[in-house]
Amino acid sequence: MNQANTPATPSVTAGIPNVDKRKQLNLRHEEISMEVRGLNLFYGKDQALKEITMDIPNKRVTAFIGPSGCGKSTLLRCFNRMNDLIDICRIEGEIRIDGEDIYHPSVDVPELRRKVGMVFQKPNPFPKSIYENIAYGLRLQGVKNRRKLDEVVENSLRRAALWDEVKDRLNDNAFGLSGGQQQRLVIARAIAIEPEVILLDEPCSALDPISTAKVEELIIDLKESYTIVIVTHNMQQAARVSDFTAYMYLGELIEYDDTAKLFTNPAKKATEDYITGRYG
Amino acid sequence: MSSTATTSAPAPSARELLPQGEARTRLRRIRHLKDLTTRFLVSAAGYGVVISLALIFVFLFAEVMPLLRNASLAEPVSFPVPGGDSDTVFIASERYQEAAVRFAADGTVSFFDPRDGRALSQRVISFDGAEAVSFSSGEPRTGLVIYGLSDGRAVLAKHEYDVTFPGDQRLVTPKLSYPLGEPLTTIDDAGQPLEVITVQQGGTGIGIAAVTADGRLLLTRYASRRSFLTGETEFVRSSYELPPPPAAPTQILLDITMRNLLVGDAQGFLHYYDISDPAQARLRDSRRVLEGDLVSVTSMAYLLGTVSIIVGGSDGSVAQYFLVRDENNINRITRIREFRQHPAQITTIFPEFTRKGFVVGDAGGNLGLHYGTSASTLFIKNVSHQPINNVAVAPRNNSLMWTDGTGQIHYASLWNRHPESSITALWNRVWYEGRSQPEFVWQSSSATDEFEPKFSLVPLSVGTLKAAFYAMLFAMPLAIFGAIYTAYFMSPKMRGLVKPTIEVMEALPTVILGFLAGLWMAPFIESHLPAAFSIIILMPLFMLLAAGLWHNAPKALKFLVPPGWEAAMLIPVVLFTGWLCITLSPLIEIWFFGGSMRQWFTDVGITYDQRNALVVGIAMGFAVIPTIFSIAEDAVFNVPKHLTQGSLALGATPWQTVIGVVLLTASPGIFSAVMIGFGRAVGETMIVLMATGNSPVVNFNIFEGMRTLSANIAVEMPEAAVGSTHYRLLFLAGLVLFAFTFVLNTIAEVVRQRLRAKYSSL
Repeated sequence: MNQANTPATPSVTAGIPNVDKRKQLNLRHEEISMEVRGLNLFYGKDQALKEITMDIPNKRVTAFIGPSGCGKSTLLRCFNRMNDLIDICRIEGEIRIDGEDIYHPSVDVPELRRKVGMVFQKPNPFPKSIYENIAYGLRLQGVKNRRKLDEVVENSLRRAALWDEVKDRLNDNAFGLSGGQQQRLVIARAIAIEPEVILLDEPCSALDPISTAKVEELIIDLKESYTIVIVTHNMQQAARVSDFTAYMYLGELIEYDDTAKLFTNPAKKATEDYITGRYG
Repeated sequence: MSSTATTSAPAPSARELLPQGEARTRLRRIRHLKDLTTRFLVSAAGYGVVISLALIFVFLFAEVMPLLRNASLAEPVSFPVPGGDSDTVFIASERYQEAAVRFAADGTVSFFDPRDGRALSQRVISFDGAEAVSFSSGEPRTGLVIYGLSDGRAVLAKHEYDVTFPGDQRLVTPKLSYPLGEPLTTIDDAGQPLEVITVQQGGTGIGIAAVTADGRLLLTRYASRRSFLTGETEFVRSSYELPPPPAAPTQILLDITMRNLLVGDAQGFLHYYDISDPAQARLRDSRRVLEGDLVSVTSMAYLLGTVSIIVGGSDGSVAQYFLVRDENNINRITRIREFRQHPAQITTIFPEFTRKGFVVGDAGGNLGLHYGTSASTLFIKNVSHQPINNVAVAPRNNSLMWTDGTGQIHYASLWNRHPESSITALWNRVWYEGRSQPEFVWQSSSATDEFEPKFSLVPLSVGTLKAAFYAMLFAMPLAIFGAIYTAYFMSPKMRGLVKPTIEVMEALPTVILGFLAGLWMAPFIESHLPAAFSIIILMPLFMLLAAGLWHNAPKALKFLVPPGWEAAMLIPVVLFTGWLCITLSPLIEIWFFGGSMRQWFTDVGITYDQRNALVVGIAMGFAVIPTIFSIAEDAVFNVPKHLTQGSLALGATPWQTVIGVVLLTASPGIFSAVMIGFGRAVGETMIVLMATGNSPVVNFNIFEGMRTLSANIAVEMPEAAVGSTHYRLLFLAGLVLFAFTFVLNTIAEVVRQRLRAKYSSL
């Protein structure tokens, strides 16, 4: 089912000193999408992330769980450098995508963000038509050909399982959609620009159960093509959609493992307390 | 963890703490009372605001309403004509309407009380055996009348009124005097009857023109000279014979400057003689003033100031003419406007004493009240079955007196306070006396009594829009771009410094801005014109250049400036550009403009006023920048972060995010910021008052001044007589200003609501 315990291949983490093996997955190099190495993040004087080292597997769903304020969203935002927008935020360590350090000064941040799409907690369609919302990202890249745009818009909406619901009102304002539809629209918008990674920051916390189910289905469909990282408060959701789960607490990565294993047989007491609800 | 402890224990005690039974009822009652009081106070305050606004409107309307009220004539008092059966040739009343005069064809002059017909005194002018064959009067305010006699002589007389206050009671004593010292004076040495005659008194003396029975046109002038020794006025007589008119004259008119003589004839023609040099007098122009073959000029009169001629015809038509210089600088008789036609032949015309109005009587017994400037016929009213023979307006325009075929004098009080204003006079081009074409002019007062007030609101409205337009041209880009930069790119710390600073600018008294603009900036710009222009061009260029240099500067240098503080780097650039342009200004003038750009403007034909729209644009721009900046900055800053982050997360650069998402979402706020700024610029007073030059011109030339509605009110309110048309028109200007801002704000609000419905994301 997964590659976590394939002993034959050399582990990427093997060469890293002082790494707690229990926090690491054993992945082959080509299975790794993003590598986090010794990441420390400070808000002013407060340290929000402490020495995070982990590998995010390619074309799999990785979930971050943990209590509020544990730093899981902060870590997620490190992957597309959204933390840059916060003045007092300072980052040490490195994150590599396809072997390149995304915090290197030569990195073109907008291009990075094109490659690493993001969906936020609250649906945030732009005050434009449904069509223009999807086309926005492409227009940013300079695509002007109307036929091509039409094609991509339709394709993206189909992949986000929204096409049938909105195909007759593409020129209506996106605010006319329901919350769940808006969230799928935002996902369609993210995949329209062909990213490699999609970051989902609690994508269902503002949605009703039926919409949530639809979005979850969509996430499972999408992992065929994209590396997906999802932050969630909902442990059932993490269990339902993810292949791997990381449990974080107070800025530290406590445990990171195969989802089935982490939920059924956690290695740490803290993890067990949290997933069984004993934690407050 | 600790929460379990606190929630379990005190639950029963909380129940005990809550009030029970009666206490609970009382509490509910007090709470209800408080609710009611608050509701009452809040709604009272709200309604209070609405009501006081409404009251302002009511007050403004109350002040303006009389302008719209039409003239009305009260029921007349009638009494038999005093002084015998001879034909009445002239009637007039005195200022207080306690005395009036009637001149009869036989020389009887009767003074009477016009309110009841009581006779006051009577004189008889002796014609020395001759008979009066013609009669005329000078301008009503002079009280001058003249009889033309059958023996070529004339009687010149004047009705005057002494006002004394014995025992604090007003006593009006009428008297008759002879300006030339004696009643009789010879006009025609040949002794022919004077068929038509006119008299006028001007600054240089008295002029008399007459047509004799054998068709000669004679002009006699009495130049007044005051004797040094006795202090008495002496008259030097000189007489001339003018070229005869082509047809038999029925009316002649002489103006107070003694330069123009007009002759109306039986064929409906008006002839104009230039008599500034009487010895060389020539017939300059002839013009048919009435249409139709059998129509003749039956009555003719000068309006106050003897510039406009009112011509009444046998067909009942009434029209205004005056002399207008053509391209060859020759005066031409020009038809200015028509008034409503009377149903019967015009028999008499009497001008008002202090304004450009006149009253007309016709053969059908109708009285018509008309006003020249506003081209309005206030009323045409039938008052008699008999022809009106004579009519007179009181000096204060508050009563009419007329005689008809019944041998009675009729006297009625009149309400006619504001004939000067009409929609046409306020908003259309009006052909004013002495102008070569119809124009929009605001000129409410002048030194002379004969002045025609020019009340066009167009120059003021245009001036208001012009000032606001140039202010917005200056303020809008600065304020909006500044707002976007401050809200979106600036570091929070710098923003915390910049935003309050600009907002404090709003508290700067505009009188100081106006003072600086008018007394310092206007002369400075005039003497540094190249600097003003080169700053406009070079400032953005240098800024871009500096930005470009900074963009490509070495990293080490860039790290010296914290992110979001880059704007501060522009301060030296701005200062340097300003200094450079001002220093180079004299040199540029020498190199390109022959030493003075100001002079160069004049040479190429551009009017340049020192206080102009450029100065006002900058000064008032400064006043509205804080308003626009503050609201626009809030709008941009309040664009939800999740939208900008959504855009950035899609790979947009900050600029793409601003253009694609931020401006779109903030557009309702930015729009209302601009409209509120515009509203402020329209209503702004002190700056335009001090820096515009207040010349009410109708153009959008940036180098000329303007006068705005608000500045006009401020300038003229102290000099407008309470209750006068001018006074009420200033209130009307206020109402127009109110309407301007009201319409602007309504449009702004409607558009804002629509944009908001479209782009709101909340």
